[in-house]
Amino acid sequence: MTLSQGKAIFIWGTVISAVIFLGLTYDSISKMPKRTHEENLSDQVADGKWTWQRYNCNDCHTILGIGGYYAPDLTKVMSRRDPQWMSRFLKDPHKVWPAKRRMPNLHLKDDEISDLVAFFSWVNGIDTNNWPPKPITVAAAVGTTMPGEAVFKAQGCSSCHKLNGMGGDIGPDLTHVGSRRSAEWIRQQLENPKSHFPDSPMPSFAKLSPKEMNNLVDFLSGQK
Amino acid sequence: MKYETQKIAYQYFVAATLLFGLQVIFGLITGAKYVWDYDPLMNIIPFNTSRAIHMNLLVIWLLIGFMGGTYYLVPEEAETDIYSPPLAVFQLYLFVGIGVAAIVGYLAGWSWGMPFLEQPTVLKFGIVIVALIFLFNIFMTMMKTRKWTVIQGVLLGGLVMLALLFLFGVFFVRNLSTQYYWWWWVIHLWVEGAWELVAGAIIAFILLKLTGVNRELVEKWLYVEVGLVLFTGIVGTGHHYYWIGTPSYWLWFGGIFSALEPLPILFMVIDTLRDVREKKIEITNRIALYWAVGSAAMHFLGAGVWGFAHTLPQINKWTHGTQVTASHGHFAFFGAYVMINLTMIYFAVPRMTGTSMKEHGRSLIALRLMVLSIFLMVLALGVAGVVQAYLQRVLGMDYLTTQGYMKLWYAVMWVSGWGVVTGVFTYIYDFFSMGRPSGVTA
Repeated sequence: MTLSQGKAIFIWGTVISAVIFLGLTYDSISKMPKRTHEENLSDQVADGKWTWQRYNCNDCHTILGIGGYYAPDLTKVMSRRDPQWMSRFLKDPHKVWPAKRRMPNLHLKDDEISDLVAFFSWVNGIDTNNWPPKPITVAAAVGTTMPGEAVFKAQGCSSCHKLNGMGGDIGPDLTHVGSRRSAEWIRQQLENPKSHFPDSPMPSFAKLSPKEMNNLVDFLSGQK
Repeated sequence: MKYETQKIAYQYFVAATLLFGLQVIFGLITGAKYVWDYDPLMNIIPFNTSRAIHMNLLVIWLLIGFMGGTYYLVPEEAETDIYSPPLAVFQLYLFVGIGVAAIVGYLAGWSWGMPFLEQPTVLKFGIVIVALIFLFNIFMTMMKTRKWTVIQGVLLGGLVMLALLFLFGVFFVRNLSTQYYWWWWVIHLWVEGAWELVAGAIIAFILLKLTGVNRELVEKWLYVEVGLVLFTGIVGTGHHYYWIGTPSYWLWFGGIFSALEPLPILFMVIDTLRDVREKKIEITNRIALYWAVGSAAMHFLGAGVWGFAHTLPQINKWTHGTQVTASHGHFAFFGAYVMINLTMIYFAVPRMTGTSMKEHGRSLIALRLMVLSIFLMVLALGVAGVVQAYLQRVLGMDYLTTQGYMKLWYAVMWVSGWGVVTGVFTYIYDFFSMGRPSGVTA
């Protein structure tokens, strides 16, 4: 090979790749508004993004899988948590979720918290080509789930409680809760946790609709 | 050393060396937070701050090293002195000043909040000014004699690309997906584009001088290497566009092009070894040679093999956002850029100070300690990442519970971190024992 052939490889390699890349970039950017439901990207969402940046959240948490690996990924967090829980958590993280690895209290103002929740809710709707993937074990169970199990997941119960070996260890293991507690006891615990344990960090789930509550109680009391 | 103004590089190397030491100390602080749940520093240096400092120091010292390398290389290639030595010194002080301001700012909670680009906007404009001064000074030096060698051309191309791409990381974008789209133009196209050009030119220059092989041979293969780097690396950016809200065709483009990315690096390994085999002169500075060959091998392992391992979308779907990425990041940056900077330093400083490298066995101790410790560290992080991907992504365990199962591997990572720090401080001691060039006080 001669020097000029090497030069040709350099020039053509660069030009071809750059042309493909710029073409795809043009197409990607034109498709982004639809894929990221930009019509819902309000000023509040943008303010939330700036709050997210200003407190440097991204160097502990990943979002879209990018960032620090010290704390949970928040891309689809609003599928697991409801807005009230999120607001309470952001106000005083350790009180709501007394995990061993702590998130510092950032002393966020109320409007910063609502901006952040709006931002997370918007991020939750981004089309990420199905990332993060559904866990294989859970995916295999689809179709055989009880209605109460869906409530259990949606309310993020497993972030604190273990069930059949999976879940957090902040609250008690619920694998055999149905053989320890009556359905009525479970219902009262869900509606008013402090009535059983005055210092319990568990939030009340009295906000659930009667149907959701019945389903959840059925599901839990069936864990024998 | 042929030109007096090449000595400017020494001050850059001193700054890079000291910041390297500080960087690995912040690595230990950051790593400890994974090992112990209780963090006594949580309200002074929380994880996000220590991570930002660890990463920023890395980028700053590598860039300062590259700039020093450039100030050393260009006079010899252009066969003239640096256009303005005072400007070069001013530029170094300005850059270090901005770096210090950024780090003090992070400790005070002043952040722009995009990973690696946490510098507040006003400091980013300062960085742009530093880059412009640097490019101006280098370009004017080259223009004095207009000897356009391929090494100079590739180097200048890499530096211009580096400066231009930084602009894509300066502005706030409302849409997070779009912000990340452009963010990768800085992060990916720097390390798998612009920096590869700069590093390729530097290593070509060193091999040329060390081995005395034919210039045309070195330059021909440099063209081919950087051509392949850019061909695979530019569209290879697509491996970061799988899951961030971008269209699904990136799974194909990113997957195919980035799967080819190890090829140019393998090429560099073969090229380096061929130059050494076909050497025309006796290699007197064997220390620099060890670092150069070590760098080529670790570059291939860390960036090439470790990158390939999780670049295909079918695998990346499970490993994205886990410690597998951290493992790859540490390995790739060490192999590709830390070792190239140290190669440059071990090549240039003895030529500036007149030190004989025969008595610098300490440098090889530093080399072995760093390489072995980094290898152990990335294995530990890699295992931690696989455990995480399996428990969290495959079994659906929640994030924090998963972390408990990774503790052992975090501990191995941290202990090997001490090995890295020991290696780095051995290097720092060795660096200063090489003496300083006459007439340089800093």
